Amino acid sequence: MDKKKTKKVVKEAYGKIAQGQEGCGCGTCGPDTKEFAKSVGYSEEELKAVPDEANLALSCGNPTALASLKEGEVVLDLGSGAGFDCFLAATKVGLNGKIIGVDMTPEMVEKARDNAKKNGVENVEFRLGEIENLPMEDNSVDVVISNCVINLSADKPMVFQEVYRVLKPGGRIAISDIAILKELPKKIQESIEAYVGCVGGAMLIDEYKKIVEASGLKDVKVTVKGTSACIDPNTKDPIGRAILDGLGKNESLGRYVVSIYVEGHK
Amino acid sequence: MKKHIYNTTILNGYTMKRELMDILCCPMCKSDLSLDVTDENEEEIVTGTLYCAKCDEHYPIEDGIPNLLPPDMRD
Repeated sequence: MDKKKTKKVVKEAYGKIAQGQEGCGCGTCGPDTKEFAKSVGYSEEELKAVPDEANLALSCGNPTALASLKEGEVVLDLGSGAGFDCFLAATKVGLNGKIIGVDMTPEMVEKARDNAKKNGVENVEFRLGEIENLPMEDNSVDVVISNCVINLSADKPMVFQEVYRVLKPGGRIAISDIAILKELPKKIQESIEAYVGCVGGAMLIDEYKKIVEASGLKDVKVTVKGTSACIDPNTKDPIGRAILDGLGKNESLGRYVVSIYVEGHK
Repeated sequence: MKKHIYNTTILNGYTMKRELMDILCCPMCKSDLSLDVTDENEEEIVTGTLYCAKCDEHYPIEDGIPNLLPPDMRD
């Protein structure tokens, strides 16, 4: 798939997910979004602090915890979805801080905006935009967070070049994402469903680190948090199905896919 | 110094807030954008456009959401 086509496919798929028409491979561990969020690192208190509707179980970690956000900081969330991490970050930076969520899916941005309105969150703004072409000024952000999104990008080096550009000197990243331990079977590499399901587009851990370092970010650390991918073998979900069908006999997804935390600073 | 063509009233809102114009730029060339408001309420700018003079490109604000997708990805 060329880059433009990949973008369109991902945009369309996540538009459907926002409208509740489809699920995503990331959240297929169980139907309970709250339990799922806990399993990837959110506390009970954090889940209480944000609207339920903002949690679509599309996470693979808790970047807001890793970021150690401070009062008054400006935070940019790449691929903000329904706004879950933005609302959580908003409680941590307080009213003197600002959270900006960027997402390329109109349905997601609308959902996030509705969630903000319903819950009276004032220090969060959502905008439609691409993470490869950020509509943010140079040196304007203290922290970039992102949760299970960059693997979906058709141009990952460009995402990190943009992250570097918008970060203030000394600004930092706290990113949760999916990476692979070894090359995926060809069938999965070529599957659109597996790409949308945060597996097909995932990079090898070493490759990930190299790309982040190439952007200019310093002290880059990639930590494996665990295998987040567990798909019900009887799933009827087309994304889960495509991934499972692409695996060889006696192979499990856990041998390929891991969730990671990526840290670094400008 | 940046030149702003909008006034500096700070409004509490949820989506397109004037105060955040400070860190907004054109997604393509990263130049400053100028804001043209068609409709706004106490909370937010509801409808309007953000214009990049360098690219000669208008980015719409609809239902309080600024659409800053690159022009070829807008549809």
